[in-house]
Amino acid sequence: MKRMAAIVRVVELRKSFGPLEVLRGITFDVREGSVLTIIGASGSGKSTLLRCLNYLEQPTSGEVYLDGKPIGFRIEADGRRAPDTAANISRMRAELGMVFQQFNLWPHMTVLENVIEAPIRVKRLARKEAVDLGRRFLSKVNLLDKENEYPARLSGGQQQRVAIARALAMQPKVMLFDEATSALDPELTGEVLEVMRALAKEGTTMLVVTHEMGFAREVSDRAIFLHNGQIEEDGPPARVFSAPTSERCRQFLSKVLH
Amino acid sequence: MLGSLRESLDLTLFWEYRAILLRGLLENVYIFLGGAMLAMILAFAIGVARLSRRWTVRVLSTGYAELFRNTPEYVLLIWVYYVLPVIFSRLLATRFNFSPYAAAILALGASYSGFMSETVRAGILSVPREHTEAAMSLGMSKWMIMRRIIAPQAIRRMLPEALNQFVSLFKATTFVSLIAVEDLMYKVSMITVHEMRPLPLYTGAALVYCAIIVAAAQLIQHLSDRWRRRGWA
Repeated sequence: MKRMAAIVRVVELRKSFGPLEVLRGITFDVREGSVLTIIGASGSGKSTLLRCLNYLEQPTSGEVYLDGKPIGFRIEADGRRAPDTAANISRMRAELGMVFQQFNLWPHMTVLENVIEAPIRVKRLARKEAVDLGRRFLSKVNLLDKENEYPARLSGGQQQRVAIARALAMQPKVMLFDEATSALDPELTGEVLEVMRALAKEGTTMLVVTHEMGFAREVSDRAIFLHNGQIEEDGPPARVFSAPTSERCRQFLSKVLH
Repeated sequence: MLGSLRESLDLTLFWEYRAILLRGLLENVYIFLGGAMLAMILAFAIGVARLSRRWTVRVLSTGYAELFRNTPEYVLLIWVYYVLPVIFSRLLATRFNFSPYAAAILALGASYSGFMSETVRAGILSVPREHTEAAMSLGMSKWMIMRRIIAPQAIRRMLPEALNQFVSLFKATTFVSLIAVEDLMYKVSMITVHEMRPLPLYTGAALVYCAIIVAAAQLIQHLSDRWRRRGWA
């Protein structure tokens, strides 16, 4: 049974890079256990939005809450907002797993070392415990046999699955996928999508930026179409993908689907 | 003519003094080790400071690096040994002196930290920003990321360049005889005064320095190649 509480809340989020305003007031909630996909043309602000959620980019204004707690700022006794400490920001980030387009595995560590690094350093797990945990997630992405390989010896699809296991090993409340299959050869996207599909089925809360429209339509509970830094279309996937009310969303879909 | 040249180049004289000369050589090695250690510590701090977000820190650390990089080691050595104690004495209002060893290690360490900070800076910059972002997204702190993610990769990339600088540093240790550290060169000049046969003595010293540097460089190269090749590069 899925709980109905909003685990992620985004309120009037804005982000500018110099004079360029990339996000122009984004507001949405994500229910625990649900999958939200974010689609849109390149430059529409999808990746920036995800990166603002875990504070890799500092929002210009607006608020992000994870499980009711603000990310990146705190409310002082007198009610004013103050920037949060680096330690607190790190703590919040640990609860948001992120998977990047370019995998970003650390090349000087083996597959298993990549996966257990943060559990050992951040969560301070004993090494043995972390290894058990790491193996559990590696077997989940079907790569237990590669635990002693270095990332450079794996295919792109395998590397991305390791990156997913690495994020999962922190047992985050929410997983963020930033175009996780865009850097892969077409024949390798399937294995990564398979893992993501399984996670969705287990009830993992996921925010997915993707160009895989078929996948998005199939696994998501809700889809958002971003255009010029604003939400242009928002609703259940059946409606967003089949009968969008926005003309721009219709044009975008007809371009990517044909 | 040829016979006298052969006689002059006869290195048996050098060999006869081997015990004294070896003690001198050890002084070179100690000063090299001390200087290298100091240079690495300073270079890492300065290299990191040069990448700081604060412009004051960047300007100061870059100024430090440029100052020491562009002052000849020889001048720096003399300055640290003869001038710096005078400044300290005035400031502390008491007599202050460096031992020749301390001065040598300080001067050479500072001098080479200037060069090496550039290598450190380049090494750190060679690690893709994305590796840091992945670590940040997992909740790792800045210091943890530097120690666990950036430094291990940066150091491997720095090795070949650092090796060249260590060779230069070892060569520069021969200047320390000028401030009366009893290193190999110092002993050779002392024996020369006594024996009046500079040719075999100085030739022997040149050969020994060269042989040591070649052997050490080969060894380090071999070790670092093996280390760099471990699984990735």
